[in-house]
Amino acid sequence: MERRKPAAIRRATALRYMGASGWTPDDATTALLDKAEKQILAIAAPHVVWRVLPLAVLPFDNCGTDLARHLQGCDKALLMAATLGSEIDKFLRRLELTDIASATAADALASVLLEQVCDEWEAEQRPLFEAKGLYLTGRYAPGYGDCPLDLNDELCLAVDSVRGCGLAVTPQHLLTPRKSTTAILGIADHPVTGTRAGCATCHLKETCSFRKRGTTCFNQEG
Amino acid sequence: MQIREVFDRKRFVFLDGGMGTQLQTRGLQPGQKPELAALEMPDVLTAIHTDYANAGADILLANTFGANAKKLAGCGHTVEDVVTASIACARKAADTTGALVALDIGPLGELLVPAGTLSFEDAYAEFAQVIRAGTAAGADLVFLETMTDLYELKAAILAAKENCTLPIFTSMSFESRGRTFTGCTVESYAVTAAGLGADAVGINCSLGPKEILPFAQRLCRSVPTGVPVFVKPNAGLPNPDGSYNLDPDGFAAEMKEYAAIGVSMVGGCCGTTPAFIAKLHETFSPLAPAGKIPIRRSCLCTPVRFVEVNGITVVGERINPTGKKRLQQALRDGDSAYPCTQAVAQAEAGAQVLDVNAGLPGIDEAATLEQLVKDLQAVTDLPLQLDSSNPEALSRALRIYNGKPIVNSVNGETETLEKILPLCKKYGAAVVGLALDKGGIPPTVEGRVAIARRIVDAAHAAGIPDEDIYIDCLCLTASAQQEGATQTLQALARCKKELGVRTVLGVSNISFGLPCRGYLNTTFLTMAMSAGLDLAIMNPNTPEMMAAVRAYRVLTCQDPQSTDYVAAYADVQIQTTQTSKSAATVAEVSAAAPGGDALFEAVRRGLKAEARAAADAALTMREPLDVVNTSLIPALDAVGDGFEKGTVFLPQLLQAATAAQAAFEAIKAKIAASGQAQGSKGKIVIATVKGDVHDIGKNIVRVILENYGYDVLDLGRDVDPERVVEAVRQTGAKLVGLSALMTTTVPNMQATIEALHAANLDCKVMVGGAVLTPDYARDIGADYYCKDAKASADLAKQLLG
Repeated sequence: MERRKPAAIRRATALRYMGASGWTPDDATTALLDKAEKQILAIAAPHVVWRVLPLAVLPFDNCGTDLARHLQGCDKALLMAATLGSEIDKFLRRLELTDIASATAADALASVLLEQVCDEWEAEQRPLFEAKGLYLTGRYAPGYGDCPLDLNDELCLAVDSVRGCGLAVTPQHLLTPRKSTTAILGIADHPVTGTRAGCATCHLKETCSFRKRGTTCFNQEG
Repeated sequence: MQIREVFDRKRFVFLDGGMGTQLQTRGLQPGQKPELAALEMPDVLTAIHTDYANAGADILLANTFGANAKKLAGCGHTVEDVVTASIACARKAADTTGALVALDIGPLGELLVPAGTLSFEDAYAEFAQVIRAGTAAGADLVFLETMTDLYELKAAILAAKENCTLPIFTSMSFESRGRTFTGCTVESYAVTAAGLGADAVGINCSLGPKEILPFAQRLCRSVPTGVPVFVKPNAGLPNPDGSYNLDPDGFAAEMKEYAAIGVSMVGGCCGTTPAFIAKLHETFSPLAPAGKIPIRRSCLCTPVRFVEVNGITVVGERINPTGKKRLQQALRDGDSAYPCTQAVAQAEAGAQVLDVNAGLPGIDEAATLEQLVKDLQAVTDLPLQLDSSNPEALSRALRIYNGKPIVNSVNGETETLEKILPLCKKYGAAVVGLALDKGGIPPTVEGRVAIARRIVDAAHAAGIPDEDIYIDCLCLTASAQQEGATQTLQALARCKKELGVRTVLGVSNISFGLPCRGYLNTTFLTMAMSAGLDLAIMNPNTPEMMAAVRAYRVLTCQDPQSTDYVAAYADVQIQTTQTSKSAATVAEVSAAAPGGDALFEAVRRGLKAEARAAADAALTMREPLDVVNTSLIPALDAVGDGFEKGTVFLPQLLQAATAAQAAFEAIKAKIAASGQAQGSKGKIVIATVKGDVHDIGKNIVRVILENYGYDVLDLGRDVDPERVVEAVRQTGAKLVGLSALMTTTVPNMQATIEALHAANLDCKVMVGGAVLTPDYARDIGADYYCKDAKASADLAKQLLG
């Protein structure tokens, strides 16, 4: 289903993705980000598809401890897949060829836009479920913690992402177009929060630049 | 029903309705593959078909939508088993009413290159397997539906054309903005599918009847008279609970509008049931399809860009190695980045079509042109003009081109016409015909028109209509044959008027051998436009020529309210100075860099245009290598040091890199022009490994390494280990950079390193990417781990100097 685009893209997050957390950009960088933001917002065609399924029919059995912990106390899951569409990919390829600085800015902004689209979708879903006395966990995506990326295949099949939003999985379980994501939200009849993958099972935990600075990649203020 | 009734268009032909939703209502469980219904619940499947047949459907779509090898992998059944069983269920139902059975084929479920990793050739093979199975099982026609990628549809149409003789129906799904998920327009779909020989075209799924109506109208106007149009909309728009908002009566009421627009076949998609089709049958049976009046127009396209050639249209001429040393070098090295940047630059300058030529002595033209077209269509939306007279090269390029291209060219010689025109027809391409033959270019106007007439006749005989024929009356050099210019234009005007075809000219030839070529080119272009020129093959980066085009459009009312003209020039001030070439330009140059190093400063501050200008200026006084070593690299080092200390941030580092890249283009052009092989500090091959499509990190590394003067061969993304080995062997590179972004593609990185070792190549391997760590890099056999692009440049310095 087509989704609305926000008026602006969260700049602080984009800078964090560009390795410049907390930096107040100089004029040249601000101009670069302004232009890239306008282009990304013009070209992106955000779509989200979703479906509720009972956990009993989902193949989550051998998907690691992190996902199991996230879904503790839930008996159903809300599966979703979202994408900004394939025209963004071509635009990024073009920029990567001619202007790597603009390309990096546009790439980061597109990632943030995708998150915003997902956030907005999630904010719409919560009250719909709460009206039925149901509660959602946060979004958990395959590939984080010890949850295998292969799960993308089943998720995309379950929500029929190819037909619903033009999102397909490659044989290596990557999502295409590039600016796409999937997520699993647990559903329970009592308030639940879910659990992030955290650092314990992350194989970058030894070299992570966020941890070196005393923060984490999922800490928005970091 | 007889299949000819589809093409007679005397009555409405009825298609069936939703299958997936019907299977779910009648017992398909979540997690159960709908493709296997014919094997697991044949009676239910046959009952659904029977209900549709009884509701009045003339064509039943067998339950083969996802019956391809990819989707059936691991289910224990072959494509042939599933297709045969599915067709049998539909046939059983069809036999009771005399309906026809269609082999239904949906998307493969994986994106094609460049969006994904599935190659065009593999997609073709997948479709061909299903089509052969369906033909053997006795299908009456092939129905390609719910397509959203024109490229995938092209692979499917070719597979059908080349593996069976059944009629081919095609259908794409459009979003409310009038484009498919991949951005394909209705018009691009229409001309491409019809050009490839689809027998009927339509639209299905995604939206309801009301939303699809305007797209169906556009489709009816865009396909030839003989190609019937159909629609299969959803039962309206989805409700929050997944159901649809129209009932059979509401659906039929909205559908009624289609009776008047030229559509001649109707059915339903998601959410529609036998009751919908029955109601549709009741509504449409008393009606006859309205006449379909297509617009005959000259057009070229890619999926997202539909270019109607109606008035002057600019074809960029820069991707042609003749006389261009830098491009020759790039084609020889297999470096796609350079021609791709040329494509982007021409598009930005205002080109609407790009000429692509790979004819260079000593290289395999067919392979090069095919690869060039693949690379270009990954970055540009402009239609391509495939510039070759080699049938093998044209055939390969036409096959993998995504959209409707133009072939440049045939001439009046029978042999060329016989070889190339059928290719144009098969792949739905337009064609350029040169008004010359074995006897050369006729000196008279009459002679050229006579050859043009012969070409037009041959094209007609091959099935190519007037609107797809472009005659080139050939622009001669004014310095050699001054009277030629007028003759060319007279011939052009006569071809347009007498033959009713389009015209094309390579405009810049006119000035060859004369000074200040821009003056002659612009004047001749203006004269030619006035004589009725349609396609001008020219350099769009020449401001005065683009100005002539834009001005001409204003003066002939092709640019309403002068909108484009104003957009192009509102912020422009013209400065024309004629300077003597013999006087040195040194004074100007030194003024640009008062007492300092302008290039160093421009790069350090990340100013792209300034860096390019400063490099051009510096190159008039200093050797290229000296400019690199004393200005560029010190500037990059200064920025790099700041980055390591944390005083310079990544966005700033990259802006400096972009500025340095612009400067480097000037330096490379200078080196290529001098013809000397100098300036390289060593060769490095880089690639994003097989299966991985994320390559911004690798691209940053490429730019930084090039900035430091290394000769980088970038193999791109999703690169086979064998290609890396081959490139290292050919270039003798001592350093290889591999990138992988995801845990699932790191094994391919390891496989690539092992392949390099197995080939006994004397090179070191550096690796990088989000999921890699120094330990992980060591485990997979890499020599070095680089945490970022700066680290890879430092490593290259250490290893290669």
